[in-house]
Order: sequence, then structure tokens, then C-alpha cells
Amino acid sequence: MTLAPFWERVAMSPFSTHIGETWWFPLLESLHVIAATFLVGSILMVDLRLLGAAARSYAVTVLSRDVIPWTWTAFVVALVTGTGMFVSRADHYVVNRAFQIKLALLILAGINMLVLHRVGWRDIARWDTNNPTPTAARTAGAASLVIWLGVLLTGRWIGHLL
Amino acid sequence: MSDLLRQLASALQASSLHDATIYLLTNIPGFPPIVQTIHIAAIAAVMGSIVVVSLRVLGLAFPRQQVGEMVRRLMPWTWWALPVLLISGLVFVLARPRRYFVNPVFGIKFALLVPAIACALLLQRLATRESAPPVMIRAIAGLSLLLWLGVAMAGRWIAYTDYLFPPE
Repeated sequence: MTLAPFWERVAMSPFSTHIGETWWFPLLESLHVIAATFLVGSILMVDLRLLGAAARSYAVTVLSRDVIPWTWTAFVVALVTGTGMFVSRADHYVVNRAFQIKLALLILAGINMLVLHRVGWRDIARWDTNNPTPTAARTAGAASLVIWLGVLLTGRWIGHLL
Repeated sequence: MSDLLRQLASALQASSLHDATIYLLTNIPGFPPIVQTIHIAAIAAVMGSIVVVSLRVLGLAFPRQQVGEMVRRLMPWTWWALPVLLISGLVFVLARPRRYFVNPVFGIKFALLVPAIACALLLQRLATRESAPPVMIRAIAGLSLLLWLGVAMAGRWIAYTDYLFPPE
């Protein structure tokens, strides 16, 4: 990989080695796990509502508006702590198969969310309080559920391959 | 490590459950991260149920949702998550009982878990009761929030303190 020297330099920087060699790494990792459980916990709420499996008495828009600030806050915490962990051994992570699949799944999760909001949300007024929700919404909910469990799994798997 | 814990660890180490979990962990490809992910997903369910109820009681989340309705809707997720956590955690404890029983963080985790469960039960009982003083309910919710976050943190820190408390 032609970028290898770049990732080695990232991993060698004083900032990165400080994270890797001190209590910073365990601190970042434990915050990352807490953030991940908040992130996935909040996303599951909306996914299960879209699937008609939970919170049926709530309009989809009401539930997602309540949940979204928590989802984004948890995401930012997970992103910042995750980046900190990543730079500590950047050269190892970029070639780690579990890490690569996790990033791909995160991109998929983003695309799924964009499609749901751009396309699925267009006629939400018609199905906001409906049970069951339209097939497209149920599909997006199921896809999100599977993708995020995959993110947890591949994320947890990274350490087993280092 | 107290004598009682030492004996329990030895008994587990000698049991066929120990052999069975070691077999599963070493022979099924990906079994360790899969079981750990089940454990983490169940923690996500705890965060999305009892922790969210605690945050709501404290006025920190979901102001439009009614506490009583949330308790009825979300608390079953906590009670289903706990046995999943127990079984997925037990796989690792049975495989290496001494690793966990000599580690004080493992003890701290359970010392936090017992009152955390007690707080969950209390919140479920009192949150909808008119007669319960709001200050008391809020205090329980605050304690519940801290305890559950502490349990999750302690769980993660068992591994970091591993080298400080080597088994045997």
C-alpha cells in the first residue's frame, strides 16, 4: 500500500505514541464502548419502531426527534475517541480486516440513513403513525439494525486481530 | 482472593462447564468476539431502557414522553438484557474463572451491579406512584444512572487491570 509510510508517520507522532503508551488508550476505549452502546441503543429504538416492533404508540417523527440528539452526541464521542485509538496504531489498523469491514459498514449505515431520509421520509405525513409502516421504511429499519450490529461485531473483532 | 472465591474458582475450573466453554471459545471461529458482541448489544439495550428511564426521570432526556408509559414500554428490555448479559458473560468466566476471581475490578463490577438492579426495581415501582416524593425518585434515578455507567466501565476495565492481578 502506497500510503503505508503516511500511516506509520501518524502512528509515530508524539500524540499517537502518548495515547498508545499511557492510560489514555484504555480511557478512550472505555468511553468509546459507552458511546457505542448509547449510539446503538438509540438507533435500535428508531429501527424497532420502523419495524413496528416497539414504541408503536409513538409517531415515527416524534420518536426520532427525541432520539436524534442522543444518537449524534454519542456518534461524535465515538468518532473522537475512535480516532484517538486509531492514530495510536494507525499503520496496524488500516490493514486490519475487521477495521476495514467496520468502516465499510459505517459508510453503508450512512447511505441507508440518507436514503431513508431523502426517499422514505418524503411521504412520512401519510405513514407517521401507521402500524405497520410501509415496506420501504421496514426495509430501512431492518437494514440499519443488521448493519449496526455488524459495526459492533467488527469493532469488537478488531482487537482480536491486532 | 478469599478462600471461598479460591475454592469456587477451583471448582469451576474442574467442572465440565469449564471444558465446554474452552472448547467453544477455541474451536468455533469468531466465537469470542461474537459472544462479546452479544454482551455489548445487551448493554446497548440496558442503555436504551433503564438508563434512558433514569435520564427521563432526571429531566435530561425525552421530555415529551411520559415516565409511567416509558417504564412500562422500556423496562422489559432491561429484564431481558440481564439474563443475556449473564449467560454471555458466564462463557468467559467459566473459561477462565481465576482470571476474574483474582481481579478486584470484577468484584467492583458486581458490587455496583447489585445496587444498580435494586435501583431499577425501585424506579419501576415508584416512578408511577403519586405518593412517592419526587426528590426520592430523582435521587434513585441519579444513582441508577451512575451505577449502570459504572458497571459498564468496570466491565471494560477488567481487561486493563488483568496484568496487575495475574491469575495463579
